[in-house]
Amino acid sequence: MLPTYQRHRTIWLVLLVMVAAIVAGLILLYQANTAAAKADRVQVTAQGAEETDRTAIALASALEEMPAQQTQRGPAAGDDACRLCHGDTDESVVLPSGESFPIQVDVEAVNASVHGDAAEDPLQCTSCHAPAEYQFPHPPVEAETLRDYELSRSQSCEQCHQRPHVTSHPGRDAENPVVCTDCHSAHETHPADAWPEEKGVDNCVECHQEREVDFTDPGRLAQVIENDLFRQSRDNQYCLACHGLTDLSTTLENGDQLDLTVNEDDFHASVHGTDNPWQPLACTDCHEGVTFPHEPIVAESRRDYSLQMYPACSECHEPKYENLQDSVHGQALEEGEEQAAVCTDCHGAHDTPDPDEPRSRISSTCAECHGTIFEEYRESVHGEALLEEDNPDVATCTDCHGVHAITDPGLAAFRNSSPELCGECHADEELMAEYDISTNVFDTYVADFHGTTVTLFEAQDPDVPTNKAVCFDCHGVHDIKHPEDPDAGIKANLLETCRECHPDANENFPDAWTSHYEPSLDHYPLVFLVNWFYRIVIPATVGFLGFIVVTDVYRRARDRFSDRQEE
Amino acid sequence: MSNQSKQYPRFRIGARIEHFILMVTFTVLAVTGLPQMFSLESAVARSMIDLMGGIELVRLIHRWAAFFLVGGSIYHVFTSAYRLYVKRERPRMMLGRQDLTDLIHLVRYNLGLTDEHPKMPKFNFGEKFEYWAVVWGTAIMTITGFMLWNPIATTSVLPGSIIPAALAAHGGEALLAVVSIVIWHMYNVHIKHFNPSIFTGKLPHEQMKEEHALELERLEAGGKPWPEVERPVLERRRRIFIAVSVVASALILTVLVWAFTFEQTAITTIP
Repeated sequence: MLPTYQRHRTIWLVLLVMVAAIVAGLILLYQANTAAAKADRVQVTAQGAEETDRTAIALASALEEMPAQQTQRGPAAGDDACRLCHGDTDESVVLPSGESFPIQVDVEAVNASVHGDAAEDPLQCTSCHAPAEYQFPHPPVEAETLRDYELSRSQSCEQCHQRPHVTSHPGRDAENPVVCTDCHSAHETHPADAWPEEKGVDNCVECHQEREVDFTDPGRLAQVIENDLFRQSRDNQYCLACHGLTDLSTTLENGDQLDLTVNEDDFHASVHGTDNPWQPLACTDCHEGVTFPHEPIVAESRRDYSLQMYPACSECHEPKYENLQDSVHGQALEEGEEQAAVCTDCHGAHDTPDPDEPRSRISSTCAECHGTIFEEYRESVHGEALLEEDNPDVATCTDCHGVHAITDPGLAAFRNSSPELCGECHADEELMAEYDISTNVFDTYVADFHGTTVTLFEAQDPDVPTNKAVCFDCHGVHDIKHPEDPDAGIKANLLETCRECHPDANENFPDAWTSHYEPSLDHYPLVFLVNWFYRIVIPATVGFLGFIVVTDVYRRARDRFSDRQEE
Repeated sequence: MSNQSKQYPRFRIGARIEHFILMVTFTVLAVTGLPQMFSLESAVARSMIDLMGGIELVRLIHRWAAFFLVGGSIYHVFTSAYRLYVKRERPRMMLGRQDLTDLIHLVRYNLGLTDEHPKMPKFNFGEKFEYWAVVWGTAIMTITGFMLWNPIATTSVLPGSIIPAALAAHGGEALLAVVSIVIWHMYNVHIKHFNPSIFTGKLPHEQMKEEHALELERLEAGGKPWPEVERPVLERRRRIFIAVSVVASALILTVLVWAFTFEQTAITTIP
């Protein structure tokens, strides 16, 4: 007799096998059922007909009425052949899902469509309903649902038309696909700019309103409609007829003269002009809703007009616009500082060049407001290389401060993360190799008292300020010089630099900092030797003590074993 | 056997207080110090610092614990002086030739080369080793810790590179101390068998026999655990000791507090 727990285990095992067998049986049964269901698939049936045999009779009689040569197998001989069945009929296809659609095609409408007879390259039925699939008599529709059918048919558009499209609808592989025929329809096809006005809206409304499909990007629909993107007139010449004239200006409320002349060449050469490969802008894209004749500009001052106009940039550049609002400039603006930089101050309005071409353009853009800082930067090791040698790697304003999302450099968060900021370049071996600069600087800083503290603050209390020195406390902020610069380099007067924080420091004190050197026999030999001393003494001690402990454990185990033997 | 359950006196209250101070301060120093040492390499170290209230607070705790460790060390000097001068005890912690022979003997015994266990005195070689390791370690840690705490005062008499060297030594010595404690102290008084004598003051017969057979024999033969001094002589020496130690300890305490507070190393504002 087995012990009780083993008997229980056997019973459980038998039960488990039985359950597994039942599950496997059910799965097999289900698979057999679905296979049978597939066998009697789609059937063509006369509308209103109730039994399948009546359908068979109707089809047979329709076939008998056809001309003899067309009942032969072979490629459909032109559209006429298709229209024999699909031209004037009230039959429909019923899919396994229960949905149905009429097989009739409105021949007139197809002819009037963009693919019709009038088109440069008219399509035939078989252009989309490929002949290999659609011979006569052709196999039945194989889709499970109407949507499956629509999705599979829309593939044929891609033989001629390429994605992506002007909108960002998800493609056929997405979970909720939107395909060509959803908006452009299958047979009565028209391009968007030939849609009657309400159809553009209807198409969108059908999914996003009536079927309540969420927008992936809310507001985009409104924006697309509002911008009239489908039927946009790009005829800037209309505006330039007046604004191309020189010496056109208006006087604003405070007496400011606002220049109204737009230099056509400058505009077209700009990133928004016709010369750019993406999407040239029309005057009315920014100056929305303006037609001729228009109302005069209402603005307190030139600055007021800039502040009125710059939100137009957000129509296309919304993320950057949002960044600006959150930045120091945006905050200053909100606090009433009207001079704080907005888009057009840095990028220009009509003449919008590539903002970083050449690279020195960045610093001269900032210099327009931050002139004193630019003067310091110009003399620095970074500024000299950028402005005199057109160096592509040295830090310029935006590399440290950011571009649109400029934060307040006075914040603790900026201070605490600043070593990492410098490290982005100075710990990059590939980059520094070109200039023969050691990448040890970051690691040696972080390994030291100052750097460790700042690193911990950055990781744990990024918004709490720490007074431990960061890179720029010693090396300078905008006026960073080469460390060995004879006048202003950090090595020339290190003690003074130390005394900024350690006022009582004496001549020996600067040596307490290892100057970014890894200790070696050449630099800081005492530190090097102490490290080696412990590198030997610690394992030696561990080995010695461990040896005695291990022999002791061995003796005790042996004694215990022999005690047991004696028992 | 009544002998088996008998307890033998081992530590008086003074030694137990000293051990308690050392145990607490050493643990606090290790728990606040090692995470600083490994804060760059180890996420565990960083979360320990975070848990203890951030690096600035951890450093403050570390320095206070150091103050009490140094205070405890000075207390030890005074109690030792009392034992040596007033009680005229033999300095039984001193290392001798017997410690080396005991060590070799024990290893031979452990390896099965001899079946005779070494007979060891009141403080065996392992305990002496640990005692002198603590003395040496505390001295190193106090000196280097003082340098790191007061770099400006240090560099006014020594070259600047002594500071990073002190940092290296402070970390190396700390690691040495902690691994020694974990291996040696943990094994000998917790794992091998728990040795309660530093808390109760007494050790049972079995452990006395194994670890301090010589002392056991001495006590069994009627020897006193500690020498006794005649009352009038004791009183006289005690008066002298108290007079000297009150003055000395007041002086030392003043120097200690001054040494821990005199230097304003850096400005407290952001540069």
